Amino acid sequence: MAQLLDPEPAIRLVQAADAPLLARPYFADGTPSPITRSLAQVPELLDVTLPFIGAALGASALDERTKEIVILRASAVMECRYCVATHTVVALDCGLTAQEVAALRGNGAPQGFADGRERALIAWTEAVAAGRGSVEDACLDALREHFDEPAVVELTLVAATTLMLNRYASALRLPAAQVTLARLREEGLA
Amino acid sequence: MSALAVSLEAGRLTPRVWFYANYHCNLRCSYCLTESGPGVPRRELGPERMLALAREARDLGFTELGVTGGEPFLLDYLPELLGEMARILPVLVLSNATVFNARRLRALEPLADLPVRIQISLDHPDPVENDAMRGPENFAKVVRAVPELIARGIAVRIATTLEDPDAVDPVESERLCALHRSLGVPDEDHVVRPIIRRGRADTGDLGVAAGFEQLDPELTITADGAFASPFGPTVRGGRMDTDLLVTRTIAPLRRPAEALAGVVEGSPPGTDTRLGIR
Repeated sequence: MAQLLDPEPAIRLVQAADAPLLARPYFADGTPSPITRSLAQVPELLDVTLPFIGAALGASALDERTKEIVILRASAVMECRYCVATHTVVALDCGLTAQEVAALRGNGAPQGFADGRERALIAWTEAVAAGRGSVEDACLDALREHFDEPAVVELTLVAATTLMLNRYASALRLPAAQVTLARLREEGLA
Repeated sequence: MSALAVSLEAGRLTPRVWFYANYHCNLRCSYCLTESGPGVPRRELGPERMLALAREARDLGFTELGVTGGEPFLLDYLPELLGEMARILPVLVLSNATVFNARRLRALEPLADLPVRIQISLDHPDPVENDAMRGPENFAKVVRAVPELIARGIAVRIATTLEDPDAVDPVESERLCALHRSLGVPDEDHVVRPIIRRGRADTGDLGVAAGFEQLDPELTITADGAFASPFGPTVRGGRMDTDLLVTRTIAPLRRPAEALAGVVEGSPPGTDTRLGIR
């Protein structure tokens, strides 16, 4: 599974005092994420990317637990240290158990998910994240048994946005936020 | 109506677009905002890009252009470029006036009938004091260049940059004004402004601090991006400040212009404490 060691970022992370005008609102709470601090170097991209990420991965018609299963499993398959660390905390906060989180972060097929809906979701997520080309019919059909078409569309965008962030954070070697690392140590997941 | 049109019409966004033509300079002034000097990377915008952006500025509703640097007149193409820009909108170009040899003066002659003004820095009526900030022989070169430009029909404005304009000795101030008048520059074309504590001035502990709330919003285009003020693209320790960066995108100009107007129109009323520096 992905290691949660804190890497040196490949690029400069913008400090609050240097935040460009369009980025200032995203620094206002004093704890901008490394994603925010890196994107602030190109403020016009920050200004559209963060609202998009918020809309795609944040609260929506899909329940939070479902979305976090997709995000955490995809990030683990993609071996993105930053996203695994960050979404381990989010997943715990939205009610996944420590065992479920550990299973989603692991290398093998996650065990301990009794619900057929979630097993189909995890299998489909792995196919989207690790596969090439289209997802096999059987995998997609299994998902469709539990989710209607708008939900499938949204899940696909959640997975695709996660993959984009996985590559962005890994390619730039973004370090997890200190607050995230502290929480992981508390949970014994660092 | 777009935020840009509203901002320009209400005067909340200055109707001039500034261009940093380059960053290199023959001088190395102690208060330089951009750490300019002879050896720094040029980072030129280039004439084709400046002209295209000038045309777009006019189409967006801006009514003036500004050109600064570095020392813009180190660029051989500048006189011709200024002529072309002035046919689009009136141009104010900033210069240290130390590079106006006979060849460059001849190249400027076609600008005589065009709306081009050259703003020249002159900080002190005494050569020794002036040159301490700006470099050897600066004073002598400026007092030689100004009448030469005026004789060729080029409008000249004098800018005096001081550590504290409110604390200046009135006798000294009057001597400086007598000097610029003797050079042919009337009082209405003399501006006095404080050193802005950014760039080399910040490193040297000089001037007044100025951020977005203290500066008039003026769209400023550089090779590195668009900024909210010509005092924005400052350099400290070789690294560009980004606190007044608007966008990395400079073309189409609409992108940074609308982004800056959005920030200006979104600022809560009463938050500005503008210094009124032009």
